[in-house]
Amino acid sequence: MSNGKTQINRRTALKGLGAGTLAASGVLPGSLGFAQAQSSAPIKIGFQKHATGIGAAYGRWYDATTTAAVARINDMGGINGRPVEIVTEDDGTDPKRGAEVLEKFATQHNCDVAFGTLFSHVVIGSAPRAGELKLPYFVVSEGHHVASGMLNRYTLQPGITDVKSQVKSMAPFVGDNLGKKVTMIYPDFAFGHDHRDFFSEAIEAQGGEVVAKIAIPPTETSFTRYFPNIPRETEVVYHVMVGPGVLTFVKELGEFFGPSRPEIFGFIDSLEAVSINSPGLEFLEGTYFWEGNPRHAQANQTEFDKAYREAVGVDEMGASTADAKDVSTYAHMFGCWETLNIIKAGMESADYQGPGDRAKLIEAVEAMTDMPESMDHPQGPKRFNGKTHQTFGVQYISKVENGKLVVQHTASIEDGMYEDEVDYTTQSF
Amino acid sequence: MCRASVLSGLSILLMCSAGPALAHAAEQGFVLLLPTQAYAIGGTMTVAASIVLVTCLPIDILERFFRPVTLPHTLALRGVAAGSSWVGTGVFLGLIWIGWAGPTDPQENLLPLTLWTVWWIALFVVQGLVMDIWRWVNPWTGPASLLARRAPPLRLPERWQAWPAVLIFVLFQCFILADIAPSDPPRLAAFAFGYWVFTLAGMSLCGADRWGRQVECFTVLFQLIGTLRPVHLWHRAKAGAPGWFSLSSGPLDSSHAVFCLVILASGSFDGLHETFWWLAKLGINPLEFPGRSAVIWPSTIGLIGANLALVAVFAFSIWIGVRALAALGKSPPLPFGLAFNTFAISILPIALGYHFSHYLVSFMVQIQYVLIALGDPLGRGVTLFGLADLRVTTGFLNTADTVKVIWLTQAFAVVFSHVLSVLMAHHMASKFCRSNKDMLLLQVGLSVLMIFYTIFGLWLLAAPRGA
Repeated sequence: MSNGKTQINRRTALKGLGAGTLAASGVLPGSLGFAQAQSSAPIKIGFQKHATGIGAAYGRWYDATTTAAVARINDMGGINGRPVEIVTEDDGTDPKRGAEVLEKFATQHNCDVAFGTLFSHVVIGSAPRAGELKLPYFVVSEGHHVASGMLNRYTLQPGITDVKSQVKSMAPFVGDNLGKKVTMIYPDFAFGHDHRDFFSEAIEAQGGEVVAKIAIPPTETSFTRYFPNIPRETEVVYHVMVGPGVLTFVKELGEFFGPSRPEIFGFIDSLEAVSINSPGLEFLEGTYFWEGNPRHAQANQTEFDKAYREAVGVDEMGASTADAKDVSTYAHMFGCWETLNIIKAGMESADYQGPGDRAKLIEAVEAMTDMPESMDHPQGPKRFNGKTHQTFGVQYISKVENGKLVVQHTASIEDGMYEDEVDYTTQSF
Repeated sequence: MCRASVLSGLSILLMCSAGPALAHAAEQGFVLLLPTQAYAIGGTMTVAASIVLVTCLPIDILERFFRPVTLPHTLALRGVAAGSSWVGTGVFLGLIWIGWAGPTDPQENLLPLTLWTVWWIALFVVQGLVMDIWRWVNPWTGPASLLARRAPPLRLPERWQAWPAVLIFVLFQCFILADIAPSDPPRLAAFAFGYWVFTLAGMSLCGADRWGRQVECFTVLFQLIGTLRPVHLWHRAKAGAPGWFSLSSGPLDSSHAVFCLVILASGSFDGLHETFWWLAKLGINPLEFPGRSAVIWPSTIGLIGANLALVAVFAFSIWIGVRALAALGKSPPLPFGLAFNTFAISILPIALGYHFSHYLVSFMVQIQYVLIALGDPLGRGVTLFGLADLRVTTGFLNTADTVKVIWLTQAFAVVFSHVLSVLMAHHMASKFCRSNKDMLLLQVGLSVLMIFYTIFGLWLLAAPRGA
């Protein structure tokens, strides 16, 4: 039974856009734009949301961004004159449930495409089913699994860069500005291993050296005993700790080094939805972070970032406008906004009419290349690789200055590029 | 089988790069920064001190503490309760319909939001602290008054006691803890409606009263938890210290005694199976939890094991006390069954305290979703009372100060419930013993159990969670 709510409604319009925007546009919902459509049946996009489970914090922000993006799309007349309807199902951040949810999208809700998955293991568990169902599956996951060739031609990641590219693009700045002798501290599982492997390769290509690789067991909650393993000649400590122990990690690292510390470089993944000014994080002052999208509005903030924040409901510190303590997952959620705009562009390019055109839609997206920074792409310009189904984009390196993340360097799209590992376009539908 | 699936799941995970940090990691991060060990020691010493203190007090102080006062007014509102149950039935069936036909997102659908947040968390606590709300809102009293008019054709054997309810309650806990998607609206609607029909059928065949006392597990549950309330209005209105009415309910029959333990064991396992410790035992990386589908069997087996373990440990602690009294005491020896069935009542406050503290954070987040969904019950895009325009926040989990207050509130509930339990157990012991020394002997095992359970409860609150 189809239960998705239509997106032209007072609630989402108020949630997604300022009421003034809607009034100023002068367009009444349901009129002009849709009346002229060949079919005004909605385009149904299945949103595979982490509503419960370990991804729930991201699920909430992905939902808010999705709602805002769709409100804007519908405000502009929808896709091919048809309104967009989001059908949300909870995958519980569970791979098996994710596959079941895709099945519901395809067979029960009659969705045109599915989108929105973040956690890698859920993408990997769900994507095969998308392939079997011939359901285009646009993931927003950062995982390298799409470009690695592990998945299938129906799975694409056009709206967010992957971790291999992110890590690679950090190496030039780190090597040139922070130091060439790096100690890496990472959790001892896939996430940490990817950082270890990708960054080692990249920094060595810059003439640098990883002098120590400190793998921390995932169940660890106290880290002091590992720090004596940091070699004396370390110029940069590269850390990607995640989970409940992160605040303890930073505090103990600060206690270990005291005032004389090497340069420190981390990934904002460690602190998504956590305020940089939280007690215990004082040691981060003066340290550097990769940011997928700068959480704190910068001095040279674009009009696109400004309008995007307003639409989604976050303030200039990246927190909810309803509660300044409610920090968003700003480095990731833009992926939903941009992916939905790419789906729109793909459907319009393919003159998508219905599920029979799914292959055409994928081919249309595969044909996309450069996407300039715009209201559709507020995070920055993108270059999509149709063969690997993975997008490449700019990456931000920020420094914590007086409790604010200030962008020091924007790595170019080229900085993050790597050799193709697959060509999905040679696979049949 | 479960080990194989965990391993295959892990091997898939090893091939990928994982996702970012965990939900509510900030809250847990702040908890890890708190001096929880010091708090735990303080809490445990409080419970230990209460055990020591109560032995030094003259027994009539406890007697007076638990003696209720009669209130001037009584209530005889049986007819009204049946009527309000019709309203409860209507709301329940409306929620079932919303589960089938409403929003697919469980965070927007009033069925999972009401059942899991308003009913399972809030009503449970209200039932144990404030009023017998279940009598008013349960979806059976009303319809059963129509369906179960004549003498019922079947008769439930007395000797079954409430064992069917114990079994059904454990199955319910399996659903909460192990089912792959207990919040999925249509799935939950099917289970809830199915149970409602099953219960109505049972009430028609066996009599509403009988079925409600022996089989319908929530009626049994809420009746037991409800004995803890300070104020009781039915028949003769009385008010007293929390637990006074529970004390006058004893001894229970063995099925009710075990039910008390099952409530606590299931709630404790609910907390335990999310911890790093448990996940490590299963060989699961807590930073990369593979999802509920990967742990269905471990969760089920663990739940049943936890229940068996607590019953066994409690029985052993009672047995030690009974043997100590027989060997070293002067009071008449106490049959083990009578002791078990009496002292099980003292588990009830701990069960309620655990329930409150375990679900407090979840409630604070989910109640916001409930309010928003109330503003748009059918997901049609309306906003009643402006509620649907509210925005959920977890900012209070992001701030060290508020996290501390929340944690201390949870810890207080655990400690206070244990202290009340100590007082109740001592009061019950005084009925069997002639001297303070005999009371000490009889409770020696139970006292140790209570201290360890305090430590366990506070450890659970402070332990990092991965699921």
